[in-house]
Amino acid sequence: MKGPLLLARKESAELLLGSRGWVWLLAMSAVLSVFGLLLVSDTELSLLDNAQVVYDMAGTVTALGAALAVVIGSDAIAGERERGTLVPLLLTPMSRPEIVLGKIGGQLAAWTVMYMISLPYFWAVGSNGQNLAAGVAIVGWLGTPVVLGFGLLAIGLSCRTALARTSLLTTLIILILSASPILLGPSLRQSAVGKAFDAVNPFSGALNAYDLVLIDSMPLAAQWPYFLVALAWLGLMTWFAVGGIRRVQR
Amino acid sequence: MIMRNLSIVAMLLTAVLLAAPGYAQNLTIDLAPARSNPSAPKMGDHLAFESVITNTSSTPVDGLIAWISLLRVDPGREQPMDLEDWSAQKAVAETRVEPGQSIKTLWPVRLIQSGDYRVVISALGRNVEGVTTSRFVEFAVLPKRVVESSRILPVALGMPLAIGTLLIWRLRRLRRRSA
Repeated sequence: MKGPLLLARKESAELLLGSRGWVWLLAMSAVLSVFGLLLVSDTELSLLDNAQVVYDMAGTVTALGAALAVVIGSDAIAGERERGTLVPLLLTPMSRPEIVLGKIGGQLAAWTVMYMISLPYFWAVGSNGQNLAAGVAIVGWLGTPVVLGFGLLAIGLSCRTALARTSLLTTLIILILSASPILLGPSLRQSAVGKAFDAVNPFSGALNAYDLVLIDSMPLAAQWPYFLVALAWLGLMTWFAVGGIRRVQR
Repeated sequence: MIMRNLSIVAMLLTAVLLAAPGYAQNLTIDLAPARSNPSAPKMGDHLAFESVITNTSSTPVDGLIAWISLLRVDPGREQPMDLEDWSAQKAVAETRVEPGQSIKTLWPVRLIQSGDYRVVISALGRNVEGVTTSRFVEFAVLPKRVVESSRILPVALGMPLAIGTLLIWRLRRLRRRSA
């Protein structure tokens, strides 16, 4: 277990101590700041307007986390291949699944930092509103498997494509498609196609759970079906990534 | 005298005709705020209203449906409110209400926005002509600050500033090292 841990530490250090990671965190912080500043001028907010902003913020944090996971994941194997560092990595005493574990450990660290950075924003915007603690908890519970699932999807594609760019583009398209419920109105999502899409899309599941907890004040425990969808997504993507790395030739 | 009797008969006949065949006319609705309601409710509090719908006619009322309506009455902001988020119980239905029978209903309401409001219960039966409404019950919702500018501004301005400063510091350090 030491190998994956070392790899995860190396990956997270490259990301969080390098300028790329800081630029990403700055961008995320700027987006959340704009959300917060939009509220300052509004003195006539109802409880639900406030909850809606926290919900939007939760969706944005998850989307940005997933986008970062996609960027890192796409670089995980194809990037190593392009830089000529893949063979040394494969020659380490780690098994192939352990390499995936190490890579995803780096993503987990990045997501944790993003989540921590979002906490002051949640507090600043939602502390006088409703269901803030439950909202923050559900972003952690559901956001984590959804974000890591996208990271694993990117790793899996990264193993199967020669160029990191190809893997990145493909995964980004899938992510944009999955995150489209952020932009779609509730009426469009109520159609038969919309409902079917929602049922299998882990991102939609997370958003629906955020909506139910933050806006409709439903209990956290009642969101277990969405949690199961997110876990199934994580399991499926782990299988996809592990299957991908087993195919990689030295 | 004959003319007077004739006019009374005509009035009675008109009344019978207007009553329409088989329509029960006498639904009454009493509405009152629940005793547990806070005296000065504010945003986020819960109120409840108790209604008693009684069939005072001699015929049963079939397919009764009663619903709650909420109106904002602040000067210049008069509007009917969308109950979507205010109340999970927006209507009740009863297959049949026998003569003299009463239906008691508790209508919980969650206060989402500040302002002056009036709540009213309306009822309609399949064999009842027109809508019966209760009296209005008025209540005021006190505002509650949902946004604290003094919290948002330091976070919204401070976080990007702190991360940006750290980024610049790191980049400078990296440049110095490479130089």
